[in-house]
Amino acid sequence: MNYKAVIIGGSAGSFQIVTRILNSLNPSFPLPVLLCLHRLKHVRSGFVEALSLKSNIPIYEPSDKDQLKSGCAYLAPANYHMFIELANRISLSADEPVNHSRPSIDLSFITAANAYREKLIGIILSGANRDGALGLKKVGDNGGVTIVQDPLESEVKTMPESALQHTKVDYVYSSDQIIKFLLKL
Amino acid sequence: MVELGIVDIREIIRLIINHYNFDFSSFSLTSFKYRLEHVIAKNNLNSAESLFRKLTDEPDFFDVFLHQLCVPSSEMFRDPSVWRWLRESYFPSLEEKHLMNFKIWLPYCVSGGELYSLAILLKEIDLLNTVKIFATSFSNNSIEDIKSGVYPFKKNEVSIENYKRFQGDSDLSNYFKREKYNVVRDTSLIKNVEFIKDDINFNNAPKNIKLILMRNVVIYFNPSHQEKVLKTMHESLSAYGTLIIGLKEQIKPNTNAQGLFEAVELNESVYKRKVV
Repeated sequence: MNYKAVIIGGSAGSFQIVTRILNSLNPSFPLPVLLCLHRLKHVRSGFVEALSLKSNIPIYEPSDKDQLKSGCAYLAPANYHMFIELANRISLSADEPVNHSRPSIDLSFITAANAYREKLIGIILSGANRDGALGLKKVGDNGGVTIVQDPLESEVKTMPESALQHTKVDYVYSSDQIIKFLLKL
Repeated sequence: MVELGIVDIREIIRLIINHYNFDFSSFSLTSFKYRLEHVIAKNNLNSAESLFRKLTDEPDFFDVFLHQLCVPSSEMFRDPSVWRWLRESYFPSLEEKHLMNFKIWLPYCVSGGELYSLAILLKEIDLLNTVKIFATSFSNNSIEDIKSGVYPFKKNEVSIENYKRFQGDSDLSNYFKREKYNVVRDTSLIKNVEFIKDDINFNNAPKNIKLILMRNVVIYFNPSHQEKVLKTMHESLSAYGTLIIGLKEQIKPNTNAQGLFEAVELNESVYKRKVV
Protein backbone atom coordinates (compact mmCIF):
# COMPACT_ATOMS: atom_id res chain seq x y z
CA MET A 1 0.00 0.00 0.00
CA ASN A 2 1.19 3.42 -0.93
CA TYR A 3 0.55 5.53 2.17
CA LYS A 4 0.81 9.33 2.17
CA ALA A 5 1.03 10.25 5.86
CA VAL A 6 0.92 9.11 9.47
CA ILE A 7 -1.06 11.15 11.96
CA ILE A 8 -0.67 10.72 15.70
CA GLY A 9 -2.89 12.17 18.43
CA GLY A 10 -2.36 12.12 22.16
CA SER A 11 -2.39 14.15 25.33
CA ALA A 12 -1.57 13.31 28.94
CA GLY A 13 0.80 10.36 29.17
CA SER A 14 1.72 10.34 25.48
CA PHE A 15 5.00 12.24 25.65
CA GLN A 16 7.15 9.19 26.31
CA ILE A 17 5.75 7.02 23.57
CA VAL A 18 5.88 9.87 21.06
CA THR A 19 9.54 10.32 22.01
CA ARG A 20 10.17 6.62 21.47
CA ILE A 21 8.46 6.65 18.08
CA LEU A 22 10.47 9.67 16.93
CA ASN A 23 13.63 8.05 18.22
CA SER A 24 13.05 4.87 16.25
CA LEU A 25 12.28 6.52 12.89
CA ASN A 26 15.06 7.67 10.65
CA PRO A 27 15.14 10.41 8.01
CA SER A 28 14.50 7.93 5.22
CA PHE A 29 11.05 7.23 6.72
CA PRO A 30 8.84 7.41 3.63
CA LEU A 31 6.01 9.55 5.04
CA PRO A 32 5.43 12.82 6.85
CA VAL A 33 4.47 12.35 10.50
CA LEU A 34 1.76 14.69 11.78
CA LEU A 35 1.62 15.16 15.54
CA CYS A 36 -1.39 16.65 17.22
CA LEU A 37 -0.74 16.66 20.96
CA HIS A 38 -2.56 18.69 23.58
CA ARG A 39 -0.32 21.35 25.04
CA LEU A 40 -0.41 24.52 27.11
CA LYS A 41 -1.63 27.38 24.97
CA HIS A 42 0.54 30.11 26.39
CA VAL A 43 3.78 28.15 26.34
CA ARG A 44 5.06 28.76 22.87
CA SER A 45 8.48 27.21 22.91
CA GLY A 46 10.14 24.24 24.53
CA PHE A 47 7.89 21.45 23.32
CA VAL A 48 9.55 20.91 19.93
CA GLU A 49 12.93 21.22 21.61
CA ALA A 50 11.99 18.58 24.20
CA LEU A 51 10.70 16.21 21.53
CA SER A 52 13.73 16.85 19.34
CA LEU A 53 16.24 15.80 21.99
CA LYS A 54 15.89 12.13 21.19
CA SER A 55 14.29 12.30 17.76
CA ASN A 56 16.09 10.98 14.72
CA ILE A 57 13.93 12.94 12.32
CA PRO A 58 13.54 16.72 12.19
CA ILE A 59 10.47 18.12 13.97
CA TYR A 60 8.86 21.33 12.83
CA GLU A 61 6.17 23.47 14.31
CA PRO A 62 4.76 24.50 10.97
CA SER A 63 3.72 27.93 9.85
CA ASP A 64 0.54 28.30 7.86
CA LYS A 65 0.65 26.77 4.34
CA ASP A 66 3.93 24.95 4.92
CA GLN A 67 4.46 21.99 2.61
CA LEU A 68 4.77 18.52 4.15
CA LYS A 69 7.84 16.42 3.43
CA SER A 70 8.44 12.75 4.14
CA GLY A 71 10.88 11.88 6.87
CA CYS A 72 9.85 14.96 8.87
CA ALA A 73 7.49 15.40 11.80
CA TYR A 74 5.08 18.32 12.15
CA LEU A 75 3.83 19.29 15.58
CA ALA A 76 0.58 21.26 15.76
CA PRO A 77 1.55 24.69 17.17
CA ALA A 78 0.15 26.00 20.45
CA ASN A 79 -3.23 27.71 20.28
CA TYR A 80 -3.92 26.86 16.62
CA HIS A 81 -5.84 24.09 14.93
CA MET A 82 -3.75 22.26 12.36
CA PHE A 83 -5.70 21.36 9.21
CA ILE A 84 -4.32 19.28 6.35
CA GLU A 85 -5.10 20.64 2.88
CA LEU A 86 -5.47 18.61 -0.29
CA ALA A 87 -2.21 19.90 -1.72
CA ASN A 88 -0.09 18.27 1.02
CA ARG A 89 0.01 21.53 2.90
CA ILE A 90 -0.78 22.66 6.40
CA SER A 91 -3.49 25.24 7.00
CA LEU A 92 -3.66 26.69 10.46
CA SER A 93 -6.80 28.06 12.03
CA ALA A 94 -7.47 30.19 15.10
CA ASP A 95 -11.08 29.01 15.20
CA GLU A 96 -12.78 28.29 18.53
CA PRO A 97 -11.35 25.43 20.61
CA VAL A 98 -13.24 22.15 20.10
CA ASN A 99 -13.94 20.20 23.31
CA HIS A 100 -11.73 22.73 25.07
CA SER A 101 -8.83 21.79 22.81
CA ARG A 102 -6.85 23.87 20.37
CA PRO A 103 -5.15 22.14 18.64
CA SER A 104 -8.06 19.73 18.29
CA ILE A 105 -7.03 16.17 17.46
CA ASP A 106 -10.43 15.55 15.87
CA LEU A 107 -10.00 18.43 13.42
CA SER A 108 -6.48 17.41 12.41
CA PHE A 109 -7.55 13.80 11.89
CA ILE A 110 -10.74 14.70 9.98
CA THR A 111 -8.96 17.05 7.58
CA ALA A 112 -6.12 14.55 7.08
CA ALA A 113 -8.67 11.78 6.44
CA ASN A 114 -10.32 13.95 3.79
CA ALA A 115 -6.99 14.82 2.19
CA TYR A 116 -5.44 11.32 2.11
CA ARG A 117 -8.49 8.98 2.26
CA GLU A 118 -7.28 5.33 2.40
CA LYS A 119 -3.65 6.42 2.26
CA LEU A 120 -3.57 7.62 5.84
CA ILE A 121 -2.51 5.87 9.04
CA GLY A 122 -4.14 7.29 12.19
CA ILE A 123 -2.82 6.50 15.67
CA ILE A 124 -4.43 7.50 18.98
CA LEU A 125 -2.25 7.34 22.08
CA SER A 126 -2.67 7.85 25.80
CA GLY A 127 -4.71 10.88 26.79
CA ALA A 128 -7.09 12.35 29.32
CA ASN A 129 -10.12 13.33 27.24
CA ARG A 130 -12.24 12.13 24.35
CA ASP A 131 -10.66 14.27 21.65
CA GLY A 132 -9.51 12.14 18.71
CA ALA A 133 -12.33 9.58 18.81
CA LEU A 134 -14.37 11.24 16.06
CA GLY A 135 -11.22 11.94 14.07
CA LEU A 136 -10.06 8.34 14.14
CA LYS A 137 -13.55 7.22 13.11
CA LYS A 138 -13.28 9.48 10.06
CA VAL A 139 -9.90 7.94 9.18
CA GLY A 140 -11.51 4.50 9.31
CA ASP A 141 -14.63 5.58 7.40
CA ASN A 142 -12.43 6.92 4.63
CA GLY A 143 -10.56 3.62 4.35
CA GLY A 144 -7.41 4.56 6.26
CA VAL A 145 -5.62 2.39 8.80
CA THR A 146 -6.67 2.93 12.43
CA ILE A 147 -4.45 2.10 15.39
CA VAL A 148 -5.04 2.69 19.09
CA GLN A 149 -2.49 2.31 21.84
CA ASP A 150 -3.51 -0.56 24.11
CA PRO A 151 -5.40 1.05 27.01
CA LEU A 152 -3.79 -1.48 29.35
CA GLU A 153 -0.45 0.04 28.50
CA SER A 154 -1.60 3.67 28.27
CA GLU A 155 -0.74 5.92 31.17
CA VAL A 156 -4.13 7.63 30.85
CA LYS A 157 -6.83 5.46 29.28
CA THR A 158 -9.65 7.89 28.46
CA MET A 159 -8.49 8.83 24.98
CA PRO A 160 -7.67 5.33 23.65
CA GLU A 161 -10.79 3.85 25.27
CA SER A 162 -13.01 6.53 23.85
CA ALA A 163 -11.49 5.94 20.38
CA LEU A 164 -12.19 2.22 20.74
CA GLN A 165 -15.81 2.92 21.67
CA HIS A 166 -16.37 5.01 18.55
CA THR A 167 -14.63 2.87 15.94
CA LYS A 168 -13.93 -0.70 15.12
CA VAL A 169 -10.21 -0.11 14.77
CA ASP A 170 -7.74 -2.16 12.76
CA TYR A 171 -5.18 -2.65 15.51
CA VAL A 172 -4.87 -2.27 19.27
CA TYR A 173 -1.13 -2.15 19.73
CA SER A 174 1.43 -1.77 22.48
CA SER A 175 4.03 0.95 21.93
CA ASP A 176 6.52 -1.70 20.74
CA GLN A 177 4.04 -2.97 18.18
CA ILE A 178 3.25 0.56 16.97
CA ILE A 179 6.95 1.17 16.38
CA LYS A 180 7.37 -2.18 14.65
CA PHE A 181 4.42 -1.39 12.39
CA LEU A 182 5.86 2.00 11.42
CA LEU A 183 9.31 0.58 10.73
CA LYS A 184 7.87 -1.84 8.21
CA LEU A 185 6.42 0.96 6.08
CA MET B 1 -23.63 17.46 11.48
CA VAL B 2 -23.81 17.97 7.72
CA GLU B 3 -20.55 17.24 5.97
CA LEU B 4 -20.00 19.00 2.67
CA GLY B 5 -18.32 17.41 -0.31
CA ILE B 6 -15.97 19.22 -2.64
CA VAL B 7 -18.73 19.47 -5.26
CA ASP B 8 -21.05 21.21 -2.76
CA ILE B 9 -18.32 23.67 -1.86
CA ARG B 10 -17.59 24.54 -5.49
CA GLU B 11 -21.32 25.02 -6.05
CA ILE B 12 -21.58 27.40 -3.08
CA ILE B 13 -18.58 29.39 -4.28
CA ARG B 14 -20.11 29.68 -7.76
CA LEU B 15 -23.51 30.68 -6.40
CA ILE B 16 -22.04 33.40 -4.20
CA ILE B 17 -19.93 34.85 -7.00
CA ASN B 18 -22.99 34.97 -9.27
CA HIS B 19 -25.40 36.41 -6.73
CA TYR B 20 -23.19 38.57 -4.57
CA ASN B 21 -19.94 39.06 -6.46
CA PHE B 22 -17.89 37.84 -3.49
CA ASP B 23 -15.16 35.37 -4.39
CA PHE B 24 -14.61 32.65 -1.82
CA SER B 25 -12.32 30.68 -4.10
CA SER B 26 -9.56 32.75 -2.47
CA PHE B 27 -10.24 31.04 0.83
CA SER B 28 -8.27 28.14 2.17
CA LEU B 29 -10.40 25.10 1.38
CA THR B 30 -10.28 23.24 4.70
CA SER B 31 -11.14 26.30 6.80
CA PHE B 32 -13.86 27.37 4.37
CA LYS B 33 -15.44 23.90 4.50
CA TYR B 34 -15.29 23.88 8.30
CA ARG B 35 -16.89 27.31 8.55
CA LEU B 36 -19.60 26.47 6.00
CA GLU B 37 -20.52 23.45 8.10
CA HIS B 38 -20.61 25.73 11.13
CA VAL B 39 -22.99 28.14 9.34
CA ILE B 40 -25.24 25.25 8.29
CA ALA B 41 -25.41 23.99 11.88
CA LYS B 42 -25.94 27.47 13.33
CA ASN B 43 -28.95 28.08 11.09
CA ASN B 44 -30.42 24.64 11.74
CA LEU B 45 -30.16 23.73 8.08
CA ASN B 46 -29.96 20.08 7.20
CA SER B 47 -28.19 19.95 3.86
CA ALA B 48 -26.05 21.82 1.36
CA GLU B 49 -29.20 22.31 -0.73
CA SER B 50 -30.95 24.17 2.07
CA LEU B 51 -27.99 26.54 2.29
CA PHE B 52 -28.08 27.06 -1.52
CA ARG B 53 -31.78 27.89 -1.25
CA LYS B 54 -31.34 30.29 1.64
CA LEU B 55 -28.53 32.10 -0.15
CA THR B 56 -30.58 32.31 -3.35
CA ASP B 57 -33.96 33.22 -1.86
CA GLU B 58 -32.99 35.51 1.00
CA PRO B 59 -30.67 38.30 -0.15
CA ASP B 60 -30.61 39.77 3.37
CA PHE B 61 -29.16 36.53 4.68
CA PHE B 62 -25.87 37.03 2.85
CA ASP B 63 -24.60 39.67 5.27
CA VAL B 64 -25.44 37.37 8.19
CA PHE B 65 -23.74 34.53 6.33
CA LEU B 66 -20.55 36.59 6.00
CA HIS B 67 -20.60 37.41 9.70
CA GLN B 68 -21.07 33.77 10.65
CA LEU B 69 -18.57 32.48 8.13
CA CYS B 70 -15.62 34.65 9.12
CA VAL B 71 -13.64 33.29 12.04
CA PRO B 72 -13.95 35.61 15.03
CA SER B 73 -11.07 36.19 17.40
CA SER B 74 -11.78 33.78 20.21
CA GLU B 75 -10.01 35.80 22.89
CA MET B 76 -8.79 39.29 23.72
CA PHE B 77 -5.06 39.97 24.14
CA ARG B 78 -4.20 36.73 22.33
CA ASP B 79 -0.42 36.25 22.61
CA PRO B 80 0.08 38.75 25.44
CA SER B 81 3.76 39.21 24.56
CA VAL B 82 2.79 40.85 21.26
CA TRP B 83 0.72 43.39 23.16
CA ARG B 84 3.54 43.92 25.65
CA TRP B 85 5.89 44.51 22.73
CA LEU B 86 3.54 47.19 21.37
CA ARG B 87 3.33 48.87 24.76
CA GLU B 88 6.96 48.58 25.79
CA SER B 89 8.94 48.73 22.56
CA TYR B 90 6.85 50.01 19.72
CA PHE B 91 4.93 53.00 21.04
CA PRO B 92 7.77 54.34 23.24
CA SER B 93 10.04 54.34 20.17
CA LEU B 94 7.80 56.82 18.37
CA GLU B 95 8.64 60.48 18.53
CA GLU B 96 6.06 63.19 19.05
CA LYS B 97 6.09 64.14 15.37
CA HIS B 98 5.38 60.51 14.34
CA LEU B 99 2.24 60.58 16.42
CA MET B 100 0.73 63.39 14.36
CA ASN B 101 -1.84 61.95 12.02
CA PHE B 102 -1.10 58.46 13.30
CA LYS B 103 -3.34 55.86 11.68
CA ILE B 104 -3.82 52.25 12.71
CA TRP B 105 -5.76 49.75 10.62
CA LEU B 106 -7.33 46.41 11.51
CA PRO B 107 -8.27 44.93 8.12
CA TYR B 108 -10.45 42.07 9.34
CA CYS B 109 -12.75 42.48 12.31
CA VAL B 110 -15.46 39.95 13.13
CA SER B 111 -16.03 40.01 16.88
CA GLY B 112 -13.88 42.94 17.93
CA GLY B 113 -11.45 41.02 20.15
CA GLU B 114 -8.40 42.61 18.58
CA LEU B 115 -10.04 46.02 18.26
CA TYR B 116 -11.07 46.27 21.92
CA SER B 117 -7.67 44.93 23.03
CA LEU B 118 -5.94 47.62 20.99
CA ALA B 119 -8.24 50.33 22.33
CA ILE B 120 -7.56 49.26 25.93
CA LEU B 121 -3.81 49.25 25.33
CA LEU B 122 -3.98 52.73 23.79
CA LYS B 123 -6.14 54.04 26.60
CA GLU B 124 -3.67 52.77 29.18
CA ILE B 125 -0.76 54.54 27.51
CA ASP B 126 -2.88 57.62 26.97
CA LEU B 127 -2.89 57.52 23.18
CA LEU B 128 -6.49 56.52 22.50
CA ASN B 129 -7.53 60.07 21.66
CA THR B 130 -4.37 60.79 19.69
CA VAL B 131 -4.46 58.04 17.08
CA LYS B 132 -7.02 57.26 14.42
CA ILE B 133 -8.21 53.64 14.15
CA PHE B 134 -9.79 52.11 11.05
CA ALA B 135 -11.55 48.77 11.34
CA THR B 136 -12.63 46.79 8.28
CA SER B 137 -15.32 44.10 8.26
CA PHE B 138 -16.83 42.10 5.43
CA SER B 139 -20.26 42.29 7.01
CA ASN B 140 -22.51 44.98 8.49
CA ASN B 141 -23.62 42.41 11.04
CA SER B 142 -20.04 42.15 12.25
CA ILE B 143 -19.80 45.92 12.57
CA GLU B 144 -23.07 46.13 14.52
CA ASP B 145 -21.96 43.27 16.74
CA ILE B 146 -18.67 44.99 17.55
CA LYS B 147 -20.39 48.33 18.20
CA SER B 148 -22.84 46.69 20.59
CA GLY B 149 -19.95 45.42 22.71
CA VAL B 150 -21.91 42.28 23.62
CA TYR B 151 -19.79 39.19 24.02
CA PRO B 152 -20.51 35.72 25.47
CA PHE B 153 -19.44 35.57 29.08
CA LYS B 154 -17.98 32.08 28.87
CA LYS B 155 -15.40 33.20 26.33
CA ASN B 156 -14.24 35.94 28.64
CA GLU B 157 -12.16 33.82 31.00
CA VAL B 158 -9.29 33.34 28.56
CA SER B 159 -9.26 37.07 27.88
CA ILE B 160 -8.98 37.82 31.58
CA GLU B 161 -6.03 35.41 31.85
CA ASN B 162 -4.39 36.97 28.80
CA TYR B 163 -4.83 40.47 30.20
CA LYS B 164 -3.06 39.37 33.39
CA ARG B 165 -0.15 38.09 31.34
CA PHE B 166 -0.18 41.34 29.42
CA GLN B 167 0.19 43.04 32.80
CA GLY B 168 -2.24 45.81 32.04
CA ASP B 169 -2.87 48.78 34.31
CA SER B 170 -5.99 47.50 35.95
CA ASP B 171 -8.30 44.54 35.69
CA LEU B 172 -10.00 43.58 32.45
CA SER B 173 -13.35 43.60 34.25
CA ASN B 174 -13.06 47.38 34.47
CA TYR B 175 -13.69 47.45 30.74
CA PHE B 176 -16.96 45.50 30.68
CA LYS B 177 -20.22 44.98 32.55
CA ARG B 178 -21.68 41.56 33.26
CA GLU B 179 -25.21 40.96 31.94
CA LYS B 180 -26.54 37.43 32.43
CA TYR B 181 -24.73 35.22 29.91
CA ASN B 182 -22.92 38.07 28.25
CA VAL B 183 -20.53 40.80 29.01
CA VAL B 184 -21.01 44.24 27.54
CA ARG B 185 -17.78 45.93 26.73
CA ASP B 186 -17.16 49.59 27.36
CA THR B 187 -18.14 50.87 23.92
CA SER B 188 -16.74 54.33 24.62
CA LEU B 189 -13.37 52.68 23.88
CA ILE B 190 -14.25 52.51 20.19
CA LYS B 191 -16.29 55.69 19.80
CA ASN B 192 -13.72 57.23 17.44
CA VAL B 193 -13.12 54.11 15.37
CA GLU B 194 -13.97 54.43 11.71
CA PHE B 195 -15.58 51.25 10.39
CA ILE B 196 -15.14 50.28 6.76
CA LYS B 197 -17.20 47.69 4.95
CA ASP B 198 -15.13 45.88 2.38
CA ASP B 199 -14.68 42.54 0.68
CA ILE B 200 -11.93 40.03 0.35
CA ASN B 201 -9.99 42.20 -2.11
CA PHE B 202 -9.74 45.16 0.28
CA ASN B 203 -10.50 47.72 -2.42
CA ASN B 204 -11.52 50.23 0.29
CA ALA B 205 -8.18 49.98 2.08
CA PRO B 206 -7.26 53.23 3.86
CA LYS B 207 -3.94 54.86 2.99
CA ASN B 208 -0.94 56.25 4.90
CA ILE B 209 -1.30 53.75 7.70
CA LYS B 210 1.48 53.56 10.29
CA LEU B 211 0.47 50.27 11.92
CA ILE B 212 -1.54 47.36 10.58
CA LEU B 213 -2.74 44.66 12.94
CA MET B 214 -3.69 41.67 10.81
CA ARG B 215 -3.06 38.68 13.04
CA ASN B 216 -4.41 35.28 12.03
CA VAL B 217 -6.27 36.61 9.03
CA VAL B 218 -4.35 35.39 5.97
CA ILE B 219 -4.34 31.83 7.37
CA TYR B 220 -7.90 31.65 6.04
CA PHE B 221 -6.79 32.50 2.50
CA ASN B 222 -5.05 30.38 -0.13
CA PRO B 223 -1.39 31.11 -0.95
CA SER B 224 -2.02 33.28 -4.01
CA HIS B 225 -4.59 35.41 -2.21
CA GLN B 226 -2.24 35.71 0.76
CA GLU B 227 0.31 37.29 -1.56
CA LYS B 228 -2.27 39.63 -2.99
CA VAL B 229 -3.44 40.75 0.44
CA LEU B 230 0.13 41.33 1.64
CA LYS B 231 0.69 43.51 -1.42
CA THR B 232 -2.43 45.51 -0.53
CA MET B 233 -1.11 45.95 3.02
CA HIS B 234 2.18 47.17 1.62
CA GLU B 235 0.37 49.78 -0.47
CA SER B 236 -1.70 50.87 2.48
CA LEU B 237 1.27 51.44 4.80
CA SER B 238 3.21 54.67 4.88
CA ALA B 239 6.99 54.49 4.44
CA TYR B 240 8.48 52.22 7.12
CA GLY B 241 4.99 51.42 8.42
CA THR B 242 4.62 48.34 10.60
CA LEU B 243 2.68 45.15 9.88
CA ILE B 244 1.93 42.59 12.57
CA ILE B 245 0.67 39.18 11.47
CA GLY B 246 -0.09 36.02 13.44
CA LEU B 247 2.68 34.14 15.23
CA LYS B 248 2.41 31.21 12.85
CA GLU B 249 1.87 33.26 9.75
CA GLN B 250 4.99 33.94 7.84
CA ILE B 251 6.19 36.05 4.99
CA LYS B 252 7.56 33.12 3.09
CA PRO B 253 10.95 33.13 1.40
CA ASN B 254 10.89 33.16 -2.40
CA THR B 255 7.53 34.88 -2.62
CA ASN B 256 6.79 38.35 -3.96
CA ALA B 257 5.71 39.40 -0.49
CA GLN B 258 9.20 38.76 0.81
CA GLY B 259 10.45 41.70 -1.22
CA LEU B 260 7.86 43.99 0.35
CA PHE B 261 8.55 43.53 4.05
CA GLU B 262 11.48 43.00 6.36
CA ALA B 263 11.33 41.44 9.78
CA VAL B 264 11.56 43.76 12.78
CA GLU B 265 10.78 41.35 15.61
CA LEU B 266 10.41 37.84 14.27
CA ASN B 267 9.39 36.32 17.62
CA GLU B 268 6.24 38.42 17.53
CA SER B 269 5.76 38.36 13.73
CA VAL B 270 6.37 42.07 13.36
CA TYR B 271 7.43 43.37 9.93
CA LYS B 272 8.28 46.71 8.49
CA ARG B 273 7.33 47.98 5.06
CA LYS B 274 10.26 48.00 2.70
CA VAL B 275 10.48 50.97 0.41
CA VAL B 276 10.58 49.47 -3.07
